[in-house]
Amino acid sequence: MLRRSSTSRSRSVSAGGSGRGRTRRGSRRAHPALYLFPLPALAVYLVFFAYPTLQSFQYAITDWNGYSATYRDVGLANLSTLATGDDLFRNAAENNVKLMFAVVIGQSLFALALALFLARTTRASTLLRALFFLPTIMSSVAVAFIWQFVYDPDTGLVDSALRGIGLGSLQQAFLGSPSAAIYWLAVVQIWFHAGQMMVVFIAGLQAIPREFYEAAELDGAGAFQRFRYVTWPLIAPATAIVTAYTTVQSFKAFDLVLGLGGNPPNSSLDLLSTRIYTTFSNYQYGYAAAESLIFMALIALVTIVQRRALRLLGSRTGEARP
Amino acid sequence: MTNVSYSRWLRIGALTLGVLVILVPLLVVLFGTFKTLPQLFASPLSPPSHPTLGNYRQAIDQGGLGRALLNSVLVTAAAVGITLLLASLAAFGCARIPGRFSWAVYGLLVAGLAVPAQAAIVPQYVLFDRLGLTDSLPGLVLADITATMPTAVFILGGFLRTIPATLYEAAELDGAGPLRAYRSIALPLARPALATTGVFLFVIDWNDLLYPLFFIHSQGNRTLPLALLDFQGEFLTQYPLLFAGVIIASAPVIIVYVFAQRYFVSGLTAGATKG
Amino acid sequence: MSPLPHPRPTALDRRGLLKLFGAAGVGLATAACAGPGGTTTPSTASAAAVPTTGTPKGSVSFAHWRSQDKSVFAELISGYTKKYPAASVTQDISPSADYQSSALLEIRGAQSGDVFAAFRGAQFSSFVKAGVYEPLTSGSLIGNYHSTLIAAGAQDGTQYGLPYELVFNTPVYNQDAFDKAGHTSLPTDWDGFLGLLDDLKAKGYTPLVWPGGDSSNNGQFLNTMVMNNAPSDQMFAEIEAGTYKTTDDWFVNTLKQYKQLVPYMQNLPTGTSTTSATEQFASAKAAILAVGSFEISTVRSLGAKFPVDLVAPITTSTAAAAKYEGVYNATFILGLNAATKVGPAAYAWIEYLSDPVNAGIYANGTAQHVTVADVEYTNADLKRIEPWLTKKTLLDPLYQFLNLNISAAVVNSTVSVVGGTDPEQAAAHAQTIIDQQIKIG
Repeated sequence: MLRRSSTSRSRSVSAGGSGRGRTRRGSRRAHPALYLFPLPALAVYLVFFAYPTLQSFQYAITDWNGYSATYRDVGLANLSTLATGDDLFRNAAENNVKLMFAVVIGQSLFALALALFLARTTRASTLLRALFFLPTIMSSVAVAFIWQFVYDPDTGLVDSALRGIGLGSLQQAFLGSPSAAIYWLAVVQIWFHAGQMMVVFIAGLQAIPREFYEAAELDGAGAFQRFRYVTWPLIAPATAIVTAYTTVQSFKAFDLVLGLGGNPPNSSLDLLSTRIYTTFSNYQYGYAAAESLIFMALIALVTIVQRRALRLLGSRTGEARP
Repeated sequence: MTNVSYSRWLRIGALTLGVLVILVPLLVVLFGTFKTLPQLFASPLSPPSHPTLGNYRQAIDQGGLGRALLNSVLVTAAAVGITLLLASLAAFGCARIPGRFSWAVYGLLVAGLAVPAQAAIVPQYVLFDRLGLTDSLPGLVLADITATMPTAVFILGGFLRTIPATLYEAAELDGAGPLRAYRSIALPLARPALATTGVFLFVIDWNDLLYPLFFIHSQGNRTLPLALLDFQGEFLTQYPLLFAGVIIASAPVIIVYVFAQRYFVSGLTAGATKG
Repeated sequence: MSPLPHPRPTALDRRGLLKLFGAAGVGLATAACAGPGGTTTPSTASAAAVPTTGTPKGSVSFAHWRSQDKSVFAELISGYTKKYPAASVTQDISPSADYQSSALLEIRGAQSGDVFAAFRGAQFSSFVKAGVYEPLTSGSLIGNYHSTLIAAGAQDGTQYGLPYELVFNTPVYNQDAFDKAGHTSLPTDWDGFLGLLDDLKAKGYTPLVWPGGDSSNNGQFLNTMVMNNAPSDQMFAEIEAGTYKTTDDWFVNTLKQYKQLVPYMQNLPTGTSTTSATEQFASAKAAILAVGSFEISTVRSLGAKFPVDLVAPITTSTAAAAKYEGVYNATFILGLNAATKVGPAAYAWIEYLSDPVNAGIYANGTAQHVTVADVEYTNADLKRIEPWLTKKTLLDPLYQFLNLNISAAVVNSTVSVVGGTDPEQAAAHAQTIIDQQIKIG
């Protein structure tokens, strides 16, 4: 009865899509029972998450230290200090931006490459997919320790190997290098989560009907052109999810950074999430709440900019997207 | 196909590089579980020359990993299941209710993606404490649900909104109410999104360290990440012990993943046309 | 800067909240506010003192961070349980850095930590301010300790806690290595120290291994580097107050001395973890481990059999100018939770640990000295280091820092210099951050 035609299928694949047929004003009233659907989620979320979050934020205009019975109202002083007078905060924000670029580009490309190679369901692909997925399910504590071991200049894996094959001059301090440490962190983050994004890309790839490729081939398209005109536009929803999620994930990286950079982390590895944590630990609750506000605004800003950028990219290489 | 050898070699080369980068650290871990710390430092890459099972034994005895593994499984299963249910219901509701109300609700739920966990954790702790939910697995499940709700609603909402209204209208003509529409139309079509979301939620909940660190005190309630922290001494990290713990912790999930891939894959491709 | 402190903090206005959430406001209004000064703070002022006499019974939660002491405490716990069959003790252990961040929250409501340990410095003073401690007033209990060594647990004349461990934040050296290099006595000035390092290097050792990459331990070495350079014993408290600056001569000179040590350190020191540094020392690749006496048991657990002792870098140009021979710290401050429900049992646990025999079990089992008097040290390393208990040592100045960001800035300047930054630049950079942090408060 319900035809699952290929046209409705390809429309279903697009995320954040047209919303067609939903907002015809006045011609359809929602079934009253529908209003009950979001209720359980909202209830749990509001009581146990939104409300405590707001409680925290109300302290952003105070100098509360987290345990005293009294505190003072400082107005916007916290926010203005964060904007201009806190090098540690600014440093953390810069690190986040560097990390974001490195991770979003690196992880997305790596995951896409893996997915492209492993999209078909052969024995070998299935096993390899599980292998690449393995780091994702490891605890970040474990990942941090593994890579600490890999990166150690004297007893660690990489530098010992370099010395072993006579390339000792290429040795790095890795996490001890003030300028490059953040990028070595990016490598770990990519190693950690690429498998997870690979899964998303595979889902997107496998939803593309064979006929599209066959039709393109008949038209004389080479491998790269097939990718550009068939694959890339049709995995746009997966790409959107991967980039948005990887961005947020990189901003929120926390356990891994503490494991690799120490608590509190070295300034070369300090991120906003660890900066906020350190501020809490420093008995500066009000200030930390202000930092959290700016953190949130930053993530929101980055996510919006990224969506716009992706839409522009998508509309230039394939199907027009709204 | 043109350029067969080029693209084939590129494929093989890139795949090999990928495999090496992922595999080598994992091998170091695996081999390391059979070595002592000095041995590990002396020759990390080589297979163990005098393999010892002592690390595994110690990890199990000393680390309480069995219990922690069970706790992790319970908490993650419950949190993922409940979150998927609540989030899909909410996303469905938002998709089917026209107008600004649903946008507001959707936006509210998704806004949580931007909030750092550290911001809310202190008042959350106080709230949970008053309700007697700290140091308990149900409390942890609840914390995980709230933390992952934005992600789930984000992915599911985006997907559910693309299901054309015509499908629902056809069902309504047959007298189906919203619950049936949810069960018979939305859920089956959303299987790939549900699977993807489930994986994401699983990863977040399984690896979560912040909530257990703040909320859990007694040994019997610890989850895996917390238990693994035991191996981090103030001055020495017992890498071989830790690695043994990691293998013990990860092996079951990987085995399940390998076998479940079949269902996983078919779930992801359900609905794709074959011609 | 002059508004009066609010006597009672106001929760977010209810009407405002309802406006914010529209229809969902109903549930929110009922979830009462849990802000500061709320009922979760144990109001110690009016509550009765924790009962400490009576039969110990119930389960005592003992919160601390030393996972490496778990088995020794377990041994002591079984002795305690034999003595008080109706009582028991469970250990609640978190890694040390996380312990510093999260402990206050959990201990305050006695969710954890009927008896708890605290770090000297910021954690201790914040715990005191938060009213978590039940003051210890029993003369007989306090009398078990060396009176000079428990000052770190007192404030304004009240003994809030008892620092249990006595450690030396002074580098550890391999005696065999020193013998091979022809040094049987310790250097007494800077040139002497450098000469020692030269001789060690000539014998193929890495003279000094320093865990520059580990922010939890890379600051330990700074203690001995400043003890004889600083104009006052309170130098770090002064830096935090702004009266001393990292750009002052004495600190810049200290940084310059760090730079002089770089050729004697291991490869790429800014990336080395403590685990790696300890392993290098234990395997006799390095001759001096720039951490402290608390590492000795770890070194032994890695299989090192050579005799060890302590050596400090004497940074002065003449022996006479050196005030101190080393640095010590009294930490792991044991405290009784003012909100505990098992007062007698918890107090009995502290009493049990304060007994010289039991303290001896702890000391010898964990290879550390304790502040308890009349303890018999049977551990060979502890015996060899015992003379340090009477040497001229300075109480660990690093703990004078109460602000994590300021202490990190100071320590990071040393890491920066070892990584190649010019000392004056590193000092200036640190001072910029310190100035900002002082303003932020």
